[in-house]
Amino acid sequence: MQRKYDDFSEVIKKHVNENYLEDDYRKFFLKKFSDWPSPTNETWRLSRLGKLARKKFIPYVSSSKKIKNSSITNNAYYSLVFINGIFSKVSSDILPEEIEISFLSAKDLITNLNEINNKSVLTHPTLNITGSCFQDFIKLKIKRNCQIDKPLELLQTGNCPNNSIHPLILIEVEENSNVKILEKFETNSALNAPLQILKLQKNSKLEFIKFHNDDIETTNLSLLISFLKEDANCNIFNLINGGAFTRSETHSYLKGENSSMNLNCVYLSTGFQHHDFTSSIYHDYPNCNSSQKVRGVLNKNSTGVFQGKIRVEKKAQKTNAQQMSKALILSDKALSNSKPELEIYADDVICSHGATVGELDEDQLFYFLSRGIDKQKARLMLIEAFLSEIIEESVDKIFMNEVVTETEIAFKKILEN
Amino acid sequence: MSILNIKDIHLSIEEKPILKGVSLNVNLGEVHAIMGPNGSGKSTLSYILSGKEGYDLSSGEINFDNKDLLELSANERSNQGLFLAFQYPVELPGVSSMNFLREAVNIRRKVLGKKELNHLEFVKEARRLASSMFIKDEMLKRSVNVGFSGGEKKRFEILQMMLLEPKLAILDETDSGLDVDALKIVSNGVNNYKGKDNAVIVITHYQRLLDYIVPDYVHILADGVIKKSGGPELAKIIEKNGYAGIVDAA
Repeated sequence: MQRKYDDFSEVIKKHVNENYLEDDYRKFFLKKFSDWPSPTNETWRLSRLGKLARKKFIPYVSSSKKIKNSSITNNAYYSLVFINGIFSKVSSDILPEEIEISFLSAKDLITNLNEINNKSVLTHPTLNITGSCFQDFIKLKIKRNCQIDKPLELLQTGNCPNNSIHPLILIEVEENSNVKILEKFETNSALNAPLQILKLQKNSKLEFIKFHNDDIETTNLSLLISFLKEDANCNIFNLINGGAFTRSETHSYLKGENSSMNLNCVYLSTGFQHHDFTSSIYHDYPNCNSSQKVRGVLNKNSTGVFQGKIRVEKKAQKTNAQQMSKALILSDKALSNSKPELEIYADDVICSHGATVGELDEDQLFYFLSRGIDKQKARLMLIEAFLSEIIEESVDKIFMNEVVTETEIAFKKILEN
Repeated sequence: MSILNIKDIHLSIEEKPILKGVSLNVNLGEVHAIMGPNGSGKSTLSYILSGKEGYDLSSGEINFDNKDLLELSANERSNQGLFLAFQYPVELPGVSSMNFLREAVNIRRKVLGKKELNHLEFVKEARRLASSMFIKDEMLKRSVNVGFSGGEKKRFEILQMMLLEPKLAILDETDSGLDVDALKIVSNGVNNYKGKDNAVIVITHYQRLLDYIVPDYVHILADGVIKKSGGPELAKIIEKNGYAGIVDAA
């Protein structure tokens, strides 16, 4: 059958040859991308990329390193600004000496991922197109025994609706260190394909908030890969509300005893938006904890997906892994899918999962009305209540106001006609 | 002066007639008790009055405070001074009791032409009334009705009544699930509230509650009609003989 769209593998091959001819390591990733995953691929069955495949775009490339960002950064944070996926030093704050910033290569990317053998990661389109097409690969190292006084802000902005963008960041938190990060995706691009690697060394701690709020035409295929050593503690909270299609996919490898990964998400969808939170947690060591909790609110024709995998290796005894997905449907055309996958090879573990999909409860609404509160306000208060529980549980107090405000703006927007 | 006038209302649910022509007039300053066996339509009547969806009359009229009640949405009825104390108060996980109460009270105050209360003023007023209902501060910090015992839920309903200052309060089986002490607290709350500028309808299965909240009129609702009306002595007869005599006699 004749294909309706350009072959994106040819597009990126040309791009790499034109811009990075000398870099053989990029070809390692280039070779692995032949096409967008098809719906017959189980991990992409519920989030199909046909629309993206029919779009025409080429990877963004910038010759100037001095473009300045117009948006105002917040004094409460050390802000690092990325424009169209490229680090903008002039717009960014100077970092304290506890944080070291450096640029890495495709070769470093291969080295940093050499422990991974999961097919779903190795064949992920973001890994392979961003691995071959990135312009900047930034590494942030939080030096050992450091507590960073202010949180970091990663501001992902830019405007290139006919391009794909490829932000690539490695964050390493060294032993006994502690850092808090807020990341905002506010790009307007055909495809935003951010690849991020987190390395948490022994007894380190990371609080990470991610706002996925790209332009309404943008496709965002985020891929986050994290490695946790013993006693490391990572809390990630995703708020997904932007983009035409946003998939935030995370693979977390618990590589040391007593490490803990909490990976929670709120998605708010309306119109024809598609939001997907896909997460895999690999328990390779004993006595580790993990949680994956998701709350979605869907209006109009939107669709939501939660795919949560927990894999517990035989030696990972005393694992405690929790998973819960709840979706609230506000329209009879909205759809929510939930797919838990538990692979447990150890026998002394606590693992739980659950999923609910429902509408606002009529009896609860009537209780509000009977007290004089109108339907619109009642809906707002009920949705707020539905979301507040997970936000209070997941978000560090330093980010609480910002997360609550951002969430309120987003859910008021999805209630608009 | 009439606050509520129900004229010959009929209602069917899934083609099954539930109310078959009920009429009732309630004046300000009066307490009416509606009694009746299970399934007689008592709670249905409370849902019709409070405006629950799915309880649309097939015929009849209801006048509330010189307004056509059926023209008002459920929240407007509350705004205008109609209050329903639920038989089964609904739990609202994640909705703080204080916020919920303040939201409701300020809407009602607006209608009454009173100034909205700020957070501090409201907390003071809510605590004052709550303590009269033996409701602890700690309970007001919880989500609405979540983790409340059966008695606490009913006391919380009466607290809401006090805060909203309705013209007409309908208490739907407020006595169910209450022990004697709680029954006294709830009844005291209602007795302190009732006066010449408001009216109370007590819906109950048992005479017990009417020992504490003494009605001016008692109506027996059975088979979708009011079979008999009378004074408080009617409740005593029911207590003694049950509904059988009255229901059969009609």
